[in-house]
Amino acid sequence: MNQLGSPFSLVRLVVSGAAALAVFAALAIGPASAGESYPAIGPLPARDAPKASLVEMGKRLFFDARISGDGAIACAACHNPAKGFGDGMALSNAYPGTKYFRNAPTLINTVYKSSYPNVGWSWDGHMGANLNDVVRDQITETTIMNMDMRIMHERMKQDAVYVEMCQENFGGECSSGKARKALVAFIETLVSGNGSAFDKGQLSASAERGRTLFEGKANCIQCHNGSYFSDGAPHNTGVPENLEIFRDPIRHLTYRSVIATHGVPKMEIWRRDVGYFLVSKNYADVGKFVTPTLRELIYTGPYMHNGVFNTLEEIVYFYSLGGGHDDPLANEVEALGLIAGEQADLVAFLESLSSAEPVTVEPLVVPQKYEPIDDWLETKN
Amino acid sequence: MKVEKTMTSQATRLTLLLALLAWAVVAMFPANVMAAGDPDEDPPLAALGPVPEPPDNRITPEKVELGLLLYFDPKLSGDASLGCADCHKPSEGWATNEPICRGYPGTVHWRNCQTVVNSGYLGKLFWQGNAKSLESQAKTAATGGVSGNGERDVMEQRLRQTPEYLKRFREVYGTERPILNDAWNAIATFERAMLSQTDTPLDRYLKGDKAALSEQAIAGLELFNGKANCIECHNGAMLSDEKYYNMGVPRPFEWEETGLNTITFRFELYAKGVYEEYYQEFKDDLGLYFTTKRKSDMGKFRTPPLRYVAFTAPYMHAGQFFTLEEVIDFYDEGGGENEMNDRFGNKTPILKPLNLSDEEKEALVAFLEELSGDEIEIPLPPVPPYGVMPDVAGLTQADAKRAGLEMYLIQSGQE
Repeated sequence: MNQLGSPFSLVRLVVSGAAALAVFAALAIGPASAGESYPAIGPLPARDAPKASLVEMGKRLFFDARISGDGAIACAACHNPAKGFGDGMALSNAYPGTKYFRNAPTLINTVYKSSYPNVGWSWDGHMGANLNDVVRDQITETTIMNMDMRIMHERMKQDAVYVEMCQENFGGECSSGKARKALVAFIETLVSGNGSAFDKGQLSASAERGRTLFEGKANCIQCHNGSYFSDGAPHNTGVPENLEIFRDPIRHLTYRSVIATHGVPKMEIWRRDVGYFLVSKNYADVGKFVTPTLRELIYTGPYMHNGVFNTLEEIVYFYSLGGGHDDPLANEVEALGLIAGEQADLVAFLESLSSAEPVTVEPLVVPQKYEPIDDWLETKN
Repeated sequence: MKVEKTMTSQATRLTLLLALLAWAVVAMFPANVMAAGDPDEDPPLAALGPVPEPPDNRITPEKVELGLLLYFDPKLSGDASLGCADCHKPSEGWATNEPICRGYPGTVHWRNCQTVVNSGYLGKLFWQGNAKSLESQAKTAATGGVSGNGERDVMEQRLRQTPEYLKRFREVYGTERPILNDAWNAIATFERAMLSQTDTPLDRYLKGDKAALSEQAIAGLELFNGKANCIECHNGAMLSDEKYYNMGVPRPFEWEETGLNTITFRFELYAKGVYEEYYQEFKDDLGLYFTTKRKSDMGKFRTPPLRYVAFTAPYMHAGQFFTLEEVIDFYDEGGGENEMNDRFGNKTPILKPLNLSDEEKEALVAFLEELSGDEIEIPLPPVPPYGVMPDVAGLTQADAKRAGLEMYLIQSGQE
């Protein structure tokens, strides 16, 4: 037990990570950078654009509150295009009658997470083996959109626009499977392109120094690597708990509801987010969260799984001290001892990973009323 | 079969043989009995006795009080916006005075909300008879996609986040924390204890108070038992045989005319699991067929009890009729025609034109109005608020980080 708390924790982490890293390299995330065994940071690989008509259908679904159980929230309620496809709050609100206990992560570039086969989406990695599954889970989870997919497809069949879109893209009537494919197509378009200073190779002198620190002294690259700036693996860096989760009774009950559903023992006792433990049920994984991407950070605050940090400066300072002290669990980060100028340089580098213009779309207003079907009695259901 | 007094012994034997054969056919094909009408004896109308008490869910004052709170508490639904009382409204006959029930936000239901009053006496709940107890009815209503749309996990945690419930469930059930199943038990107990009505004019009349019914109502009672033959199905103390019939009640217009209703209609066909062909073609509620999947059960609904009807308009499974007069007119004409009968010819042969005079119809209405006592009114209880767990007020980061890891720390030698 307690391997991670030993003085060799970092060494072991690197060694145990090597096998996984080889896999990542094979997946063409990027060749290992010189002198290090981490996948190199660099521009995101280009993706084929999904079919425009499918994207259009997905976009309409994305902005349509009728794909939540009580018709109150669309995907865009928590993944708001004006807030970097997050919601700008520390903790997300999610479904009416519940309140979520995590930060709504950005959807920008989330499609690139498909390259990591062993950890799912969401902060604790519990969601989905592919993006299509994640979309399904988000729509049907009690505390997220609480939608019965059978009602969803019947709603779509009552909307002439969807009927036409389903016909055009797939042929045949609307189904939840078609809706999910369309939503995935839309999400696939939410990518950075190469609009950041980093991708264009236009780093300022400060950002350039920051990059050197990132890959060297600060060693951010040990987790934030590859073109997606994530190793796709869970780590415990001792991020403070957001105690609001327990002070707000609705958040607390929402939290218990989710961990109870996933079979987490002692659901009444926890006063922390168990993180990846929810997936593994290994106590050494309590407090681990999946490394987030660092792209588009300037549009996607607050930060961390529970939104406890509002600025990049706070985060860099936090890691400079070696992260939080998650007594009694081990920390994976060692004190970096960055001086103030170095911290500023790192922030400049982090900022350079965001597109100059925000990745966004024009919100769509989807009429919520259902019209009767002409000649219904003579029409097949 | 008409039996002549002068029959020969041979004919007697033949009759016996036929009767035996008929009995065998009945025993083999109970559904055919239903299709052929109601051959059973019809228990006479009777005064309502004490409400049955299930041996595994006894009525106690504390449980009744808990059930009362839960009945009015919106925590037991998907988005915590509606409780039992939002569809089974005290002011609307403990039902909804709209043809089709409101349903979960963003949806509409597809059947009429029935009264809770005296439902404790029924063995079959819902129009389709698909819940066999009040406990099961409560659970089904709270979780159905177009009714409560609640999930077990989050509803249970809502109860556990409510100090009043922590205390009361502990008192009633002796559990450390509320268990959702006990909530359904408590709600059923409240319904049995508080919403049973045994002192209607009919009950008083049947117990010997001949002045309890007006002359007109007594005339109505005689029609009920005789010429109008209501007693064929509406019999016994609850005025229901709890059997299923297709009476040719017409399709509600809402499914055709309102998009939201069309959605729910299709959803029900889909969710209840019918052949693709039926899903595509049918435009009406298949009723008991959804349970049995027998074509002869298409469009059959369980005979509703008639108690409390003065407060529970509109009537029929989708509220097709707004007044008792309309209902009586419908039966006077021998029922109606619907899609299921067109296709499967399974309308009950019990219904025949009655040739009731206006006076007789009025007498029947007068009788039906005496099946309700006073309107049952209960002061609205407060909704118990959520509370913060006791240890949270002084919670520190260090406490938060360690809580839950106790066993792990002992095992790893850190404690």
